[in-house]
Amino acid sequence: MRISLNTIKQYLNIPENIPDQDLIDLIGSRLVEIEEVIDLAPRYEGVYVAKVISAELIPDTHLHLCQIDAGAARPDLVKDGKIQVVCGAPNVHAGMLAVWIMPGAIVPATYGNENFKLGVRKLRGFESNGMLAGADELGFDTEHKSIAEIDPALAEPGELLSEIFGLDDIILDVENKSLTHRPDCFGLIGFAREVAGILGVPFTEPTVFQNLSPKLHASSELQLEVEIQDTDLCPRYNCAVFDLPKNTPNKYLTAEAIFLAKAGMRAIDPIVDLTNILMLETGQPLHAFDYDKLVAVGRADRPKIIIRAAEPGETLQLLDGKTIECITDDILITSNNVPVALAGAMGGKNTEVDLSTKRIILESATFSLYRLRKTQMAHGIFSEAITRFTKGQPAAMTLAVLAAALHELRVDPLAVIDNYPGKSPANVVRITTLSINTLLGTDYPTSTISQTLENVGFQVKVQDDELRITVPVWRTDIHLPEDIIEEVGRLLGYDNIPLSLPVHSFSGTEIDPIFSLKSQLRNILSDRLAMHELITYSFVSRRLLEKAGLDPVDCYEITNSISPELECFRSQIAPSLLDKTRDNLKAGHRDFTLYEMNQVSQKSYGLTDEGTPTLQTHLAIITLADFYHLKAAVLALFAQLKIKLEYTALSAEAAKQYPYLEPKRSAELQVNGRRIGAFGELRHSIATNFKLDLMVSACEISLDPLIDAPRQLSVDLHLSRFPSVERDLTLKVSADIAFGRVDQALEESLSRQGIYYTLSPLSIYQASPTADTKNLSFHLRFSRPDKTLDSTEISAIIDTIAKDLAAVGATIV
Amino acid sequence: MSDIEKLRAELKALGAEYAKIKTLPPEDRGKFGRELNAKKQQLLSRIAHAEAEAESANVAPIDISAPCAINSPLPRLLHGTKHPLMVELDHVVAIYSDMGFDVMESCQLDDEFHMFDSLNFPQAHPARDGYDTFRTTENFIPPAHTSTMQHRALKKYQHKLTSGGQIAVGIPGRVFRNEDADATHEHTFYQCEGVLVSEDANMGQLFGVLKRFFELYYGQKLNIKTQPGYFPFTEPSAEFLIEKPASLGGKGWLEMGGCGMIHPNVLKMAGIDPQQYHGFAWGGGIDRLAMLKYGLSDVRYFESGKLDFLEEF
Repeated sequence: MRISLNTIKQYLNIPENIPDQDLIDLIGSRLVEIEEVIDLAPRYEGVYVAKVISAELIPDTHLHLCQIDAGAARPDLVKDGKIQVVCGAPNVHAGMLAVWIMPGAIVPATYGNENFKLGVRKLRGFESNGMLAGADELGFDTEHKSIAEIDPALAEPGELLSEIFGLDDIILDVENKSLTHRPDCFGLIGFAREVAGILGVPFTEPTVFQNLSPKLHASSELQLEVEIQDTDLCPRYNCAVFDLPKNTPNKYLTAEAIFLAKAGMRAIDPIVDLTNILMLETGQPLHAFDYDKLVAVGRADRPKIIIRAAEPGETLQLLDGKTIECITDDILITSNNVPVALAGAMGGKNTEVDLSTKRIILESATFSLYRLRKTQMAHGIFSEAITRFTKGQPAAMTLAVLAAALHELRVDPLAVIDNYPGKSPANVVRITTLSINTLLGTDYPTSTISQTLENVGFQVKVQDDELRITVPVWRTDIHLPEDIIEEVGRLLGYDNIPLSLPVHSFSGTEIDPIFSLKSQLRNILSDRLAMHELITYSFVSRRLLEKAGLDPVDCYEITNSISPELECFRSQIAPSLLDKTRDNLKAGHRDFTLYEMNQVSQKSYGLTDEGTPTLQTHLAIITLADFYHLKAAVLALFAQLKIKLEYTALSAEAAKQYPYLEPKRSAELQVNGRRIGAFGELRHSIATNFKLDLMVSACEISLDPLIDAPRQLSVDLHLSRFPSVERDLTLKVSADIAFGRVDQALEESLSRQGIYYTLSPLSIYQASPTADTKNLSFHLRFSRPDKTLDSTEISAIIDTIAKDLAAVGATIV
Repeated sequence: MSDIEKLRAELKALGAEYAKIKTLPPEDRGKFGRELNAKKQQLLSRIAHAEAEAESANVAPIDISAPCAINSPLPRLLHGTKHPLMVELDHVVAIYSDMGFDVMESCQLDDEFHMFDSLNFPQAHPARDGYDTFRTTENFIPPAHTSTMQHRALKKYQHKLTSGGQIAVGIPGRVFRNEDADATHEHTFYQCEGVLVSEDANMGQLFGVLKRFFELYYGQKLNIKTQPGYFPFTEPSAEFLIEKPASLGGKGWLEMGGCGMIHPNVLKMAGIDPQQYHGFAWGGGIDRLAMLKYGLSDVRYFESGKLDFLEEF
C-alpha cells in the first residue's frame, strides 16, 4: 500500500521541528514496516506548465510544430519569445495549458528505471525542445491517450507542476502484511491517526468521521428493500439511491487523478474516482450499481436487494467480462435473488454503470472477511477493495462514508437504507497501570498511558487503580488487556523500554539428544572420515523415488507443491544424494563421499500420540567406492561412537526396504539386535537410472535408535613394558571359506595364549577366480605382560595358532 | 685455517684476557670486564652464524612455491566439510544453551493444530495466508515456522514453572514456505525459535535477551531496535533489527526476525495460567545469519548439493 506523506500531514498538526526522515523512521519503528520510501520531488524536476501559443500540423505527418510559452523557465531556449516543441498528440491545440518537460529533465514515468532523459533534438527537420507530456509520461496513468491539459484556473505558464499538484511529496510503500490486523490503517485517515499517536499529539477526526451516525433523509417515496439473510455474511448493509448529477466531462488533469496516482490507482470517471478516493481516505470500499438495470434484472415490481451465500453452481458475469462459477463461500448481492455482484470483490456486468446510467445505487457495506478471503483465492481477485474488505472493515463506519459520498456528489438521496443487524455493544477493556508496566518492563505513569490512548481515539476512565478503556469502533482488533498493552508499548516506542535479562538458576540446560548426536556425527564424518555434508530438499519428485526403486505411494504427498520436482516428502535420503552425486561428477569432482542427516517420514511409520506423522532422523552416505571402502567408514564411525555394531547379509526384508542396494553386495546393520539400516553397492539398474557408470555405494541409517544405544566408553588397555614381536602371517584356506571365520578363529587362538596382541588384516590373494584356495595375510604384533618373549616361546605361539587354525582348514604358509 | 677455526682461536685468546682482571686496580676492573664480555658475546654470535652457514652449505635449496618435490607425488590431504548452515545452527544452539535455554529440535511434518490453532490463529484468518504453507493429502503441514513447536515446548517444560523455575527453550529446525525460490527466497530453510516463560518475563527482558544473543554471536557490543509486527501468537508483537556488526562492515540495521510477548491464549492452551505467568518468544532465520557471515548473495547455494560450494568453507 502506498501512503502519501503530504496527505498524512494534512490530517494532523505535525510539530514543525520534525524532519521528514525522523517522521519516516518513527512510522517505521512504531506503526508499519516500510518497504520503500519514494521521493517524488526529483521525478518532477524540470516539469513545467506551459501555454501552447501555436500548434501547426507538419505536412504528411501526425506531428504538430508547437510554440510554447514556459514563462520564466529556461529563458535560454526562448527564441522570438517562444520555445519550439514538436508534439505528436492529436489534442494539442493553441491556447491550451500543457505540461512541458524541459530538455535535460527525465521523463517522470521512467524515473528510477530507464531514466529517459530528454534533450533538444530534430524531428522531421524541426528542432524540438523537450516534450509536451501525457498523463502516462507523468506517471499518473498507464494508458497513453493524449497530452495532459491543465485547468487555467489553477496555474500560470512557467509554474512547476509539482507546486500546483503537491508533487513535492514522499510516498511510503508499506508492507500490507504488517497491518493485516489493522483495517483502520488501510485508510489514510486511520494511518494519520496512528502517526498522531506516535508523535504524541491528539488527533482531530476529519469531517467524515465526526458523526458516525449521520441522519440521511430520503427525498422521495422510492421503494427499496434490503434483506440480509445471514448476519455473519454481512453485519451491515447501507445504500442510497440517487439520480446521477449532470456532469460535464473534465478534460483537465485533476488533483483527484494525482491523488489516485500517488496511491497507485488511476482516474476513470468522476463517480468511480470519488468512491476510490473515499476508499483510500477511509478504508471503506463503495460500489455503484445502475439502479434501473438492477430493478430490471430482478423482474419484480418492488426492487429488493438480498444478500446471501452463493448456491452451488451459480454463475455470474463480472464487470471485467469474465463469467465465474461461484463457490458456496461466495457472498452474492442479488436483485430479488438474481445475482448482481460478487460481494466485496466485483460488480456484475448486468448492473454496470455506463453512459446510459441515470440513477445509481451506491453501496457501503461490510462482509465476512473469512468468506471474502476464500472468494479472493477462488477467483483470483486482488483489487484494492477486496484487500481492505479482507481485513474486516468495521461496520460502524459504513453509513458515515456513504454520507460523505452523497455530500461530495451534492445529491439528495431518493432512498437510503441502513440494515445493521450486526451492531455490537461498546467494547470496554479494563486494565491496570501496573499490569501494563509489568508486561512491558516499564514505569509509565497512568497519565502518560491515558494520554497516549486518548490521542488515537480511545476513551479512558481512571477509577482507583483501574483504567476503563472504551475502544474506538474502528479498532475491531482490540479485545484483551494485552491488546491495550501493545498499543501503549508501541505508541510510546518499544525502543524506549529499558533492557534487562532474565535471571536463571544453575540447573543447567538439556539439548535434544538427536541434535547432540548429529553434532557428534558431523565431527566424525567430516573431520575424521573426510566426508562432505550436504543438505538437500525434503521434498523430492516421484520420479526420483522410483529411480531409487522406492514406492512413492508410501510417501506423504504435498498437494500444493511448487512443482512435480517437489511433490513427495522423502522417506529416505540416499536417493537425493545419488542425484547430487551425478551433478558433482559432472562438475569434475572425483573420489568423494557425501552424507546428509535429516528428518524423513513415510506413512507406514504411523502417527505419534499427537496424531502427527512419525518422523525419523536418517543419515545417508554415498561414496564413489566399493562395499569394502564404505564398510571401513561405517565401522570406523561406530567405533568412534563407541556403539557396538553388528552386520549381517541383507535379509529379504531389508532388501525390500533398501531396494537400491545390490543384495549380494550389501549388508544390513544392527544395534542391540535391531536393524537400523543397511549399506552396500548400488544395483546395476539403479546406477543406470542415476546415470552413474562407476562404482557407487550407499548407506542409509536411522539415527534415532542410536540415542539410547549403550556406549562402550571404558577401554581395555594392554600396554606391556616388554618389547613386542611382529610377524606377518599368511593362511591358506579353501576359497569358499568366509574371511570372518578365519579371522574369528585367529582371534580366539590368540586370546587363549595369555599374550597382549593386535591383529590386522593385510591382504587376500587368490590366484584366479576359479582357484580352489586363497591366501589370507595378517599382520600380528604381540608381547607378554610379564617378560620379554624368547624364540622358543614365539615358536610355541605360532605353532599353537597353526594347530588351532587347522580346525577351520587353514594352514600357515 | 677455516673462518670458524680462526674465530674459535680468537675466543680462546679472549679467555686468557680474563686472567688480567685480577692484575688491574679495583676501580678499572668493572669496565675492563664489561668490555671483555661484550667482545665475547660478539664472537660467540659470529661463530654460531658461521657454523649455521657451514651446515647448510651442502643442502640443496627447494622451490617453496611448488606444491610438491620434483619427481615426487603430490601430498594428499583427505578432508571433509561440514555444511556451513549446520555449523551455524550448532553455533546458535551452543549460545542459547550457554544462556540457559534447553534445546528441542523442530519437526518437519506437523498438523494444523500445532502450526496454527495452538498459536491463536483464528480459523480461516488472513494471517494464515501469510505463511504460505504446504499441505499433504492428509492435511498435515510441513511447518512454515519453528513456532509450530511452541505448544510442545510449553507443555514439555511446564514442570519447571511449578517447581519455581522458568521455561526457557531454543528450537532450531527446518521449515518450509510455498514460495518460488530466488536469490533471497527458498522454499526450504532453517529457523531458530526462542521461548521463555516465567513469573516476571517482560518486553525489556525480551529485547535484553535478543541483544545479548547477538552480542555473543558476533562477539561485540551492539544495539537492537524494533519495528511493529503482527503475529497472532504474540501480543505485543514486533520485528527486531540489530545494528550491523563491525565484522559485516558496520553502519545500518539488519532485520533479524519477529518477536513478542506470548499471547495469553497460547499460554492458556498449553495449560499455563496467563495471570500468573508471562512469556516471550522470537524466531529468526539461520540461512540469513550464514549468508551475512560469508557474504553470500544467493540462498539457493545451501541446498544445491554442490561440492564446489562446500569446498569454499
